[in-house]
Amino acid sequence: MRVGVIDYGVGNLGSVMRALEELRVAPILVTRAIDMHATDGLILPGVGNFADCARLLGEGGWSQALQEEVQGRHKPLLGVCVGMQLLASCSMEGADANAPEGTPGLGFIPGRVEHLGALGCTLRVPHVGWNEVSNCATSGGLFDGIPDGTDFYFVHSYAFMPEDRADVLATTDYGVPVTAAVRRGRICGTQFHPEKSSRAGFRLLRNFIEGPAC
Amino acid sequence: MLKVRVIPTLLWKQFGLVKGIGFDSWRRVGPVLPAIKVYNQREVDELVLVDIVAHRSDDELDFESIDEFGQDCFVPLTVGGGITRIEQVQRLLRAGADKVSVNTAAYSRPELVSDIAKRHGAQCVVASIDVRKNPNGGGWQCFSRAGQHPTGREVREWAREIEGRGAGEILITSIERDGTLQGYDLALIEAVVNAVKIPVIASGGAGNYQHMIDAVKNAGASAVAAASIFHFTEQTPAGAKAAMQAAGIPVRQNFIGSVKN
Amino acid sequence: MLAYCKHCVMPDTKPDLHVDDEGVCNACRSYEKRKEVNWDARHKELLQLLEKYRRRDGSNWDCIVPVSGGKDSTYQVVRMLQLGLNPLCVTSTTCDLTPLGRKNIENLKHLGVDYVEMSPNPLIRAKLNRIGLTQVGDISWPEHVGIFTIPVRAAVQFNVRLLLWGENSQDEYGGPATAAKNNVLNRRWLEEFGGLLGMRVSDLVGMEGIEAKHLIPYTYPSDEELARVGVTGLFLGHYIPWDGLSNALIAQANGFHTYDKVVEGSMVNYENLDNHQTGIHDYFKFLKFGFGRATDLACLHIRRGRLTRQDGMEAVKRLDGKFPREYLGKSLEDILRPLDMTVDEFIRLCDKFTNKKIFKRDASGALIKDPDGNLTKINYDNA
Repeated sequence: MRVGVIDYGVGNLGSVMRALEELRVAPILVTRAIDMHATDGLILPGVGNFADCARLLGEGGWSQALQEEVQGRHKPLLGVCVGMQLLASCSMEGADANAPEGTPGLGFIPGRVEHLGALGCTLRVPHVGWNEVSNCATSGGLFDGIPDGTDFYFVHSYAFMPEDRADVLATTDYGVPVTAAVRRGRICGTQFHPEKSSRAGFRLLRNFIEGPAC
Repeated sequence: MLKVRVIPTLLWKQFGLVKGIGFDSWRRVGPVLPAIKVYNQREVDELVLVDIVAHRSDDELDFESIDEFGQDCFVPLTVGGGITRIEQVQRLLRAGADKVSVNTAAYSRPELVSDIAKRHGAQCVVASIDVRKNPNGGGWQCFSRAGQHPTGREVREWAREIEGRGAGEILITSIERDGTLQGYDLALIEAVVNAVKIPVIASGGAGNYQHMIDAVKNAGASAVAAASIFHFTEQTPAGAKAAMQAAGIPVRQNFIGSVKN
Repeated sequence: MLAYCKHCVMPDTKPDLHVDDEGVCNACRSYEKRKEVNWDARHKELLQLLEKYRRRDGSNWDCIVPVSGGKDSTYQVVRMLQLGLNPLCVTSTTCDLTPLGRKNIENLKHLGVDYVEMSPNPLIRAKLNRIGLTQVGDISWPEHVGIFTIPVRAAVQFNVRLLLWGENSQDEYGGPATAAKNNVLNRRWLEEFGGLLGMRVSDLVGMEGIEAKHLIPYTYPSDEELARVGVTGLFLGHYIPWDGLSNALIAQANGFHTYDKVVEGSMVNYENLDNHQTGIHDYFKFLKFGFGRATDLACLHIRRGRLTRQDGMEAVKRLDGKFPREYLGKSLEDILRPLDMTVDEFIRLCDKFTNKKIFKRDASGALIKDPDGNLTKINYDNA
């Protein structure tokens, strides 16, 4: 798979690119929307603030282009951290008097992104560190070869709640169940950072690159 | 459930790593890169790299070196030292940092923390606080500029303020204990843990695994950071986690499957 | 800019070196303090300690002397025999033993001592050299571990309590004051000063196919084993003023052979003769810290009044930090071959571990290399 990493102005690109290089995959840094054509799969990184990321996606023409590539041409897509949250219908991060409904996302997987506190979590937020990921189908797919309960690295304050339970691929527990990974067709996402989750994360990235998507 | 993290800290001064006692850090230990590689190979939970002299000048941060270190670092990395502007944060994230640590600049411009939190998320900002015990009465006084400059702030009050500004975590360091291998200042850790609702990372003084267990079980730290114990004794982060596990503290297990199909 | 000691020529990038307010480094100060030492008293102290440990009944060796066959260990054995001791000499075979090294080992045996040589699996050793070089930029990492571990293992195995090391490098080369006062080598010393660069033997398992069973020679005895035997280490250099050149003279007077020319990167022919990999080790020191073997030697002799600082500086400029195309007559390609490493890969590693801040670079930030691949420091002396 020719993997493209989308550079839309935000994100820990360095880590993702380096991780892919370590896996002996020559990643393509996609800096313009039209460059997505030359890829067989896409990774959408994301760190930080949903509203900012969403805005940059819109401004760069990425939202439109992703609609075509991913929903139109069914190109596999892996969203990481905020990149996963961007797959949602909207996020309450950045919601205020001007935007009480929050900020719209790409809408590829219906559902909302809410603050962990709003989801009933009473533990310290942000959720930062290593946590066990469960309920994943371990044969084939994103979590192939990764046992149930493997730790991955999380660092976030908001979590994605897909409307359709079937879109939830894996969860973790942080006082309340927190979506760890999602999948709908060839679109998937992880709340945790596979590029920072050591060998388990590398295995997941390889699964995405090599396997039938997700 | 969320695991407790064991975080080696690297103190970086110009040409290489240094070790200090009570923040008197003259002693050069060796170059930074081998240390990053060793800890990376050991798959530590996280790594903290602090440039302890960056605050001294207005020179730009050493992004070039950080780029290089980022090349060999696949564990979550927090970079700190001399961060005064939000543009630096973006640059650091691009170089491979996952989080940034802010200390001195926050005292004169706490809005820096809010700005970073708004743009990059609270989880990206670690507020690093260095303190010394108050000579008269209780409490601890906060110091900026690598422990040189008294700020007049008391730690609990400052921790709450910086939490309010949007910091995602607090890295709390006892200056007196730092480098002594005599144990964390548990009263300090506990005070900060009780003052805020965000995760607190204990730092300064770890000399053996029991110190780390105490910081978590008795003082409520979410993570323990340490430098001297790992660089200068035969104890290792893996050993620390094994000891913590035996004491009933949840710690991360290393993945034993294969990466390649 | 690099700051240099005003007295010797060592830059302050050296780990554990501390330059005081007068611009003089702690190694020079340490040497100055030698005048104040009551060497007679120290000598008496040594004899008393040796009395305590030696076996009058001849049922076991009096002590273990770690040796390499070099000038210092040859000198040490000469002293031991003069003191009437019956030592067991223990060698941890070096990574790439030279013919001259082997010759000097034989010479040492023929001074009249029992001798044990532990040769760790050379195939594994080559892997460890490779790991040391790629992970921490030190090809000699396993060698250092071996030097400090194998004699201690021998002490436990042969039930010999006393280990007599040569010099405490912290004394001569400058180290935190507390360590200089300490004349015993223990586990803590090994971890702090043994040049392990933060890497542990335990880190090696899983790398390049290394398993725990390959690391037996490198595994330091447990505290229980050491306590059971009562192992103690002493530094001879604490009791007798140590000088490499005078050691070399005494060694030569006792059959030690020198190289027929000055060793690459150095200005002497009487040391570091036994391991072809030493050139690479010294070169990486230069890349990381900005000083190599020539600097080390110049400093030693300046302190002892044999060289002026000016002459030392000139020698350093001319000799220090040259790309190690060959060492003791063996080419770089041949030295790297057992490590499964090409010269190209080696050069990439050199660049990776080079501290770019201390060498001249062009406008694009790339290191400036001369036709032989040598770098130039940004400054060779204080302004």
